[in-house]
Amino acid sequence: MSTYSGIFNAIGLRDWCDEDKKPSLMSLANLRGDEPNWYDVKFPSLDNLHEACSKIPQTRDMTAGLEDGFLAIRPALRFVLDPLTQPLSWALDGALTAFTETPWWFLVPLLVLGCFFISKSIRIAGLVAAFLAFFLFTDHYTYAMETLAIIFVCTFICVLLGVPIGIYMSKSDRAQRAITPVLDMLQTLPTFVYLIPLIFLFKITEPKLYGMAIILYAIVPVVRLTNLGIRLVDQSVIEAANAYGLTSRQKLIGVEIPLALPNIMAGVNQTIMMSLAMVVIASLVSAPGLGTLVLDGINNLRLGVGFVAGFAIVLLAILLDRVSKAALDRINAAQADNQ
Amino acid sequence: MNAAGEKRVKVAVKGLYKIFGDNPEPMVDKVKAGMSKTDLLAQHGHVLGLNDINVDMHDGEITVIMGLSGSGKSTLIRHLNRLIEPTAGEVILDGQDVLKLGEQDLLEMRRKRMSMVFQKFALFPHRTVAENAALALEVSGRPMQDQKAEANKWLSRLGLEGFEDSYPHQLSGGMQQRVGIARALCAESEVMLLDEAFSALDPIIRSQMQDLLLELQREIHKTVVFITHDLDEALKLADHLVVLKDGYVVQQGEPQDILLNPADPYIEDFVADINRARVLRTRSVMKPLDGEVPAGAIAVNYDQNLEDTIAMVDGDTSKHFVVTQDDQPVGVLDMHDIMIAMVPRKAAAS
Repeated sequence: MSTYSGIFNAIGLRDWCDEDKKPSLMSLANLRGDEPNWYDVKFPSLDNLHEACSKIPQTRDMTAGLEDGFLAIRPALRFVLDPLTQPLSWALDGALTAFTETPWWFLVPLLVLGCFFISKSIRIAGLVAAFLAFFLFTDHYTYAMETLAIIFVCTFICVLLGVPIGIYMSKSDRAQRAITPVLDMLQTLPTFVYLIPLIFLFKITEPKLYGMAIILYAIVPVVRLTNLGIRLVDQSVIEAANAYGLTSRQKLIGVEIPLALPNIMAGVNQTIMMSLAMVVIASLVSAPGLGTLVLDGINNLRLGVGFVAGFAIVLLAILLDRVSKAALDRINAAQADNQ
Repeated sequence: MNAAGEKRVKVAVKGLYKIFGDNPEPMVDKVKAGMSKTDLLAQHGHVLGLNDINVDMHDGEITVIMGLSGSGKSTLIRHLNRLIEPTAGEVILDGQDVLKLGEQDLLEMRRKRMSMVFQKFALFPHRTVAENAALALEVSGRPMQDQKAEANKWLSRLGLEGFEDSYPHQLSGGMQQRVGIARALCAESEVMLLDEAFSALDPIIRSQMQDLLLELQREIHKTVVFITHDLDEALKLADHLVVLKDGYVVQQGEPQDILLNPADPYIEDFVADINRARVLRTRSVMKPLDGEVPAGAIAVNYDQNLEDTIAMVDGDTSKHFVVTQDDQPVGVLDMHDIMIAMVPRKAAAS
């Protein structure tokens, strides 16, 4: 007899419990006829209660139920999400083709020039050139460009979606209360966990699978910092804008976004770094790039391959961080004024 | 100005109440029934901001609203252009209730009919001085050339020529506030609201700015509403002075009048430390002219202050004066009257 049988007997639920009971195997304790011992009393968990009354589901029934529920709504979710996210697949495919098919002798100078244009710093342009040369020399160039292509697309979409969400949050306290827990969850959920529902939803060969994972993970800082940046705009300046009859649109475009730009750019910098972190993990779900080499290193115990690829990721991270920080510093310098 | 009664009322505040709290409307009746600010806070958790304000602001005059911090003066001025919505009452601009304006009309009113200058300047830090000054014109959609021309005109009038393309942070506080004033003047509005506009400036700059405002006012004759906590500033600028305390009007009228006849001990305390000789004018202390002008009297203008009058005769107490308005004698004055006027009423009574 299990510990809690007595309780079900006492409250008269025994018949209900045993309604469709199958003849069960006798447990060792049952065979021995052990009396329940107070020292070993078990917590009334689902599994332990199930032992006493078969009507109570086991824990594995709960997880299975969740899975069944998800599978049941999957067609509907797919029907909505598939066309909605299809452009993401196209964008990723396009960017991957563009970055890998463009000849290196054209793309490398273009990237160096682009970085110089953004940062207005010879030093940073030189750093970029040196790192790209390292990738070329060690034959990691194509992998690095794949990673870079994915980061470009995902960061762009994060900004495209995240800035308006952040603005909406800054305008409505209710929206902020509703969205903040979602952002907290996205940020704290272990990165592998979000891959699970995505694997169910999309085919593993589709680029949007890892694209979605990266965007969900990396969008958080740009949303948070846009919200914060706009809320931190000097209230006396906002009051002046109101006093001179600016419409809310004029206020947003003419005052709030320009003054929040340093914070928004700090968010973009964080978003880029988090995209890079996620693109490595996303190699588990077929994301190309440097992450696949790291995965190869783990799966096949190739220390050298994994180590060099890891080093290349660090270089890529430094490169992205320096260039985006330099852009941020330029904005800060242009506005170093008000305070 | 003596002729206040003949002036047209530009902005009228009627029975204005502002109560801060979760459910302010029912509280108005309690306040009207005489509940005090402290009781309202203790019993109902609502803060009484403004209590039955009635002020007429006349066309072309400077109305100064004075009070200590927490008296509700900044709250009051923000009701005029509805940066704060009242709980009850009316704000009438040119016969039209501002509180009944729709959203679009309210924006138009703020762009074209009322401009505002702020204590902390509140310039847009990411825009040049000229762009800041032209704000109201830009918002109204005036062509770029107009904006530039108008902004440059007012900036040079305020002595900021050559700074058009600077950014606000490159200017000193006094210069920044002049940009703030240029921004208000550029709007070409008839009403200008100045919220402690000079309080953040150091004393000498502040005095210069007051002179500048008076000088401008002689040219442009705007209806100016000026908020301050500084009595000297209030007396220097005001045509009409409103003294606020705990959200209600303690006394309002011509500044000279308030100084000579303070309505309650609060105002007596307020005016006790004032340099009365500099503020009082001969017209306020003269005796009306009856009969002949005394022989040997010295003519003084009716707007001249007592300090200058005493200096004219080197403090000789035997002198008599005849007070003239437009070269016509209107009253007489002797040193004895001047001496009495110099002593605050409270001190004289004790």
